[in-house]
Amino acid sequence: MQSESARMSSAAEARYRINAPNSLPRAIKVIALDGPSEHVVKRLALARWNGATFFTATAFGSTPRKGESLVGWLNDLAGRTKNLIDEVNAADQVVMVATAGENVPVASLIGEACSLKRVMTTALIVGSAGKSDEALSKTLAQLRPWSLMLVIANAEEYIEDMLVALRA
Amino acid sequence: MLRKEQNDLLTKTGPGTPMGQMFRGHWLPALLAEELPENECPPVRVKLLSERLLAWRDTQGHLALTDEFCAHRGVSLWFGRNEHNGLRCPYHGWKYDHTGQCIEVPSEPEESGFCKKIKLKSYPLVERGGVLWTYMGPPEKQPPLPEWEFAMMPADRRFMSKRTQECNWLQAMEGGIDSSHVSFLHSGELDRDPLFKGSKGNQYNMGDMKPVFEVVESAGGLFIGARRNAENGSYYWRITQWVMPAFTMIPPRADHPVHGHFWVPIDDENCWAWSFDYKVTRALAEKEVAAMRAGQGIHVTYVPGTYRPKANKDNDYLVDRAAQKVGRTYSGVEGIAMQDASLQESMGPVVDRAKENLVSTDNGIIMARHRLLRALKAMGKGETPPGIDLAHQRVRSAAFVLPPDKHFKDDAKEALVVQTGREHVTV
Ligand code: FES
Ligand SMILES: [Fe+2]
Repeated sequence: MQSESARMSSAAEARYRINAPNSLPRAIKVIALDGPSEHVVKRLALARWNGATFFTATAFGSTPRKGESLVGWLNDLAGRTKNLIDEVNAADQVVMVATAGENVPVASLIGEACSLKRVMTTALIVGSAGKSDEALSKTLAQLRPWSLMLVIANAEEYIEDMLVALRA
Repeated sequence: MLRKEQNDLLTKTGPGTPMGQMFRGHWLPALLAEELPENECPPVRVKLLSERLLAWRDTQGHLALTDEFCAHRGVSLWFGRNEHNGLRCPYHGWKYDHTGQCIEVPSEPEESGFCKKIKLKSYPLVERGGVLWTYMGPPEKQPPLPEWEFAMMPADRRFMSKRTQECNWLQAMEGGIDSSHVSFLHSGELDRDPLFKGSKGNQYNMGDMKPVFEVVESAGGLFIGARRNAENGSYYWRITQWVMPAFTMIPPRADHPVHGHFWVPIDDENCWAWSFDYKVTRALAEKEVAAMRAGQGIHVTYVPGTYRPKANKDNDYLVDRAAQKVGRTYSGVEGIAMQDASLQESMGPVVDRAKENLVSTDNGIIMARHRLLRALKAMGKGETPPGIDLAHQRVRSAAFVLPPDKHFKDDAKEALVVQTGREHVTV
C-alpha cells in the first residue's frame, strides 16, 4: 500500500486543499521618506489595495529635537496631517521607501516609534542604479538601525510586487 | 502570494514555455560523470525540462545526449546495443551515432541513403568538474562552458552528489534562499552534523534567533544577507548567493567545505537537487568525504541503485516522532537535505502560491520571483537573461563580522567573488 505521505503529496490530493481564506487583511503603512520616493508612493497609491495605506513623512531632511512631540509627522496623500504614533499603533507592518543618495533622518523617528510599539519595519531603497556607492551607503546607514528587513531594489516595480506578495 | 498566471509562468519549464526558454539558455548539470563510466557502457535515461533523453558514450568516448526514442516506431533506445561507434535499436536494427544521426537502416538498400534522412534530436554533453553538462537551447546561442568555482577545482577538492526531489523546481530552489528556516528546521544539525559543527558562526547563529535581513540585487541574481549581533556592537553576516535561475550557495562555516545547489527541473513536478561541496586550497579530508557519502551535510543516502533518497515519501521519510519530541531533530526527519525535501514535497507537486501569507522575512523569495519575472519580460524583448555571463558565475557566499556602519556589498566586495587561490571568507 502507498504510504500516507506519498498519497497525500500527489497532485490529485492537492486538489482537496481547503479553499477558504486563511488570513485577514493586514494594515501595512507605506511611508515615503524623501521627495523622489514621494512620487513613487503616490503612483502606487492609485492601485487597489486590501489594507495598505500610503503616506509621506512631512519634514524631509529634519527631525524633531528631543522632547518635541511626534504628533503630526506624517501626511496622508490627501495632505492631511496624521499622528505618527497613531498610525504605527494601527499598523501590522511599516514599509519605509527611500531613494538612494537621499538624506532620510526621519527614518530614525519612524523606526523608534515602530520599535516602541513592536511593529515590523521593512525598508526599501530604490533608484540605486546610477548612484555611487557612497550615496547609497549614506541612505543605507540611516535606515539600517531601524529596519528588520532591508531591500535594495533596482526596479521601482519591486515595491508593488512586494506589496502584492504581502497581500497588502 | 503569487497570482496563478505568474505561478504557472515560473513553474512550467517544458518546451515552448518562457521559463523553459530561460533554462535552455544555460548549461545545466545533466548527469554525474560516474554514470557513464566507460566507452560503450549502458545508456542512461535522463529527463530534463520535460524532455525524455538518453545519455550514452560511444566506442570512441564521445558523449551523447539524444532523444530517448527510436525514430522508426518509438522504442526506447535504453534497450539499445551500444556497439561500434553507435547505438543500435534492438527492434529493427536502426543505428545512430553520438550526434543522433541515423547511420544504418538495415531494411533499406545502403545506396538509397535513406538513413541520412533520419536524425534524432540531440544536445551537446560535456564533462567538467565531475558533472556532464548539457545545453538545450538554440545552437547559435550556445554560451561558453560554465565556470562555477566548484567545477573548476581539481577532483580531490570537490564532491558532487544529486538526488531526485518530487516537487517543482521553484519550491526546492526557494528553500535554498530561505535563510530564516535554518534556526528552526535544521537547529538540531548545527552542533551535531560533522560538516556544520564547531564554527564560531554557529554560536552567533544560536545566540541571536532574530536575524535581520538585507536583500540586495547582484548582476546575476541576489545577495541575501542575514545579520546577527556579534561582539561589541558589530554584526555577524551570512551572505547567501543566488544566481539565476537555479544556483544557490550557502554561506560557509569555519573551515568546513562550502556547499551549494543547482535545482534543475526534470519535469514540472520533479527536479534534481544537485549538491556540491568544495575547498579552494586543500583536498577534502577523507573523513569529510566519508561523511558526505554517508549522507551528512547536504547529502543523502540512496535507495540502492538509484539517486532516490533512502528516506522518501514512500516510507514517510522514516519520520521519528520520538527524536522530534526530545528535540534531536526538529521535524522528526533525519538530515538537512531530507528535512528540506520532505517539507517541500509535502506542499504538493506545485504549490498554490495564491494561498501563501508571506511576511517581511520572505523578501529574498519575493525578490527572486520578481527578478525571474522581470528577466522573462526582458528575454521576451531579446535580452540575455542573467546568470549566463561567466562573470555572474564567479561568485561566492561568505560569512564575516563587520562594524555596524559597513555595508557588506561594498565593504566585503572581494568576499563575494571568486578569489583564485584563496579560500572563502568565513567565521
Ligand atoms: S511556518 Fe513556514 S511554512 Fe509553516
Ligand atoms: Fe534547509
